[in-house]
Amino acid sequence: MKFMAKIGVVGDRDSILLFKAVGLTTFFETEPDSASKTLHRLARKGYEVIYITEELYTQCGEAIASYKSEPFPAIIPIPSNQGNKGIGMAEVKANVEKAIGADILFSEGR
Amino acid sequence: MQGTIVKVSGPLIVASGMADVQLYDVVRVSEKQLIGEVIELRGDRASIQVYEETAGIGPGEPVESTGSPLSVELGPGLIESIYDGIQRPLNKIREQTGDRITRGIAVDALDHEKLWNFVPTAAVGAELTGGDILGIVQESEAVLHKIMVPPNVKGTLTWLHEGGSATIVEPIARLETASGELELPMLQRWPVRRGRPYAKKLPPIEPMITGQRVIDTLFPVAKGGVAAVPGPFGSGKTVVQHQLAKWADADIIVYVGCGERGNEMTDVLMEFPELKDPRTGLSLMKRTVLIANTSDMPVAAREASIYTGITIAEYFRDMGYKVAVMADSTSRWAEALREMSGRLEEMPGEEGYPAYLSSRMAEFYERAGVVTTIGSDGREGAVSAIGAVSPPGGDISEPVSQATLRIVKVYWGLSSRLAYARHFPAIDWLQSYSLYLDKLSSWFNENVSEDWSDMVQRTMTMLQEENELDEIVRLVGIDSLSFKDRMTLEAARSVREDYLHQNAFHEVDTYTSPEKQYCMLKLILEYYDLCLNALSQDASFFKLSSLPVREDIGRFKYTPQEQMLERYEEISALLKAQVRELTEGGVENA
Repeated sequence: MKFMAKIGVVGDRDSILLFKAVGLTTFFETEPDSASKTLHRLARKGYEVIYITEELYTQCGEAIASYKSEPFPAIIPIPSNQGNKGIGMAEVKANVEKAIGADILFSEGR
Repeated sequence: MQGTIVKVSGPLIVASGMADVQLYDVVRVSEKQLIGEVIELRGDRASIQVYEETAGIGPGEPVESTGSPLSVELGPGLIESIYDGIQRPLNKIREQTGDRITRGIAVDALDHEKLWNFVPTAAVGAELTGGDILGIVQESEAVLHKIMVPPNVKGTLTWLHEGGSATIVEPIARLETASGELELPMLQRWPVRRGRPYAKKLPPIEPMITGQRVIDTLFPVAKGGVAAVPGPFGSGKTVVQHQLAKWADADIIVYVGCGERGNEMTDVLMEFPELKDPRTGLSLMKRTVLIANTSDMPVAAREASIYTGITIAEYFRDMGYKVAVMADSTSRWAEALREMSGRLEEMPGEEGYPAYLSSRMAEFYERAGVVTTIGSDGREGAVSAIGAVSPPGGDISEPVSQATLRIVKVYWGLSSRLAYARHFPAIDWLQSYSLYLDKLSSWFNENVSEDWSDMVQRTMTMLQEENELDEIVRLVGIDSLSFKDRMTLEAARSVREDYLHQNAFHEVDTYTSPEKQYCMLKLILEYYDLCLNALSQDASFFKLSSLPVREDIGRFKYTPQEQMLERYEEISALLKAQVRELTEGGVENA
């Protein structure tokens, strides 16, 4: 059988309910504390990819930071029903800056 | 026996016609009767170091030998005294001549007129040897002065003072010796350069509790041990020495202020009478002998001051007391040696210090130790020696520090980095060492707690880990560390700030009993363990590192001894509750 990654989605009910339709496991969380614990729990259970709404992504910084240097899980921010905050892009930009020392992607900010 | 001065060079005088004197004999120089000591002999020429200012002395003046080596007077009256380097009582000199020492003044070291209440304890007719106790004198509330038969004397006791008032010079006992009858007063004289005899040297196995956390926990010194405190200017050598003199659990303290500032001795004189010994409740001055040769006093007497100090210490040791000698600072003493050596035109060794520097150092430090004293009852006494070293620029690769480190077994290295960061006592835990640690651990495990040495080991490991992690942090930033490592950093910070840092001028914090040290260390290690455990249960690192209970742990050192255990239980419970709050939910959800 082909390798199937375990994918989880963490966020408020309204934003992530739709993921259930495509067969992902959803975890409804609004509080950062319990969301952090859910992240740890999912990581321990072997989830390889965790999608998390941008709201919670910003609030669970510590839990996410502890998996930054691990191969799994990949924790990926997704926009919630409140719209896109651009956190994912900001993250990419920060990583590029760290890697090469200059912002080569989005210099329109200047 | 009279000679004539042929040369004067500062404190060094060369006199001719001195063929009959012996090395280290004391001489009186010129009509002013300055005290000097013969330190070199060539033919009939003697080189004499003069313990007083030699201005106005010229060739042709007479030099007279006393025929005996430089000696100290030992007997009741030593305690609470302040002496100069050759045991002249400074307070009496002040009464006689005012604030400055006049030259050639002769004052008895001990009060020969004062009446002491002598209580005989020996039995007439007994066979006594050197070191046996004839009787006792309550010298101060804290010190029972035992009057002993001088070393190298033995015979049958034919008469003993019936008790009551006696001066120290009148005979209190008569001994029938092989060479005839001998009358013994309470006063003894002993040459300072010769160690007083003992029956047997014993291995040091009991720690000298100092109440200083970094010392007692990480780098303990044994009773009868030798320690050195090297450190650059302003790093707190003198404060460390004062703290030891104040709180060390010795019966007698001999404090030698050697070449340091006068106000430091004043501090001792002002502070000690007001401080109470935590064990006996009596004033600390009641067990202290001070020897002051401040930086403006004649340099030759500085050389003698250390020997004077340790001889007095040995005398009390012979009574069966635990004595601690503090010498602040041995560098000034070595400089005095260098000055005399230079004037003697000896071949200089490293940095101009005489070639015999390290053997002289060893002579001093080797007189420390735990011994079975002479005398038939086999008392046990100890002399611990603690010397400050002031290496120029704080660089301990200089000769005095190196010579000291070869001899001492405990090294409390003060660092200017810590002093600059206002971390006092600035004893650098990464540099310092104590070679007594293994020997003393069984005492600590028995008398404080059985897990003491494990705790000390863990603390030390934690501090070393902190140092390694610190290097990584400096290189790539704190974010690169795992939360577990960051917890180690937090706990190590707690050890540094809440445990090792100790305020010498805070009423409670200045002295910490071993029990309290145990509780304090236990709390910090408990915090560390609980947090590591909580981290593995997904608790938030930031919440763990900012637990409100940390404030309580930090302030625990200011808790007075009486409320200590109670408060410990309180904080320990609080700690567990607060950590549990952060983890419990996580466990349930999982």
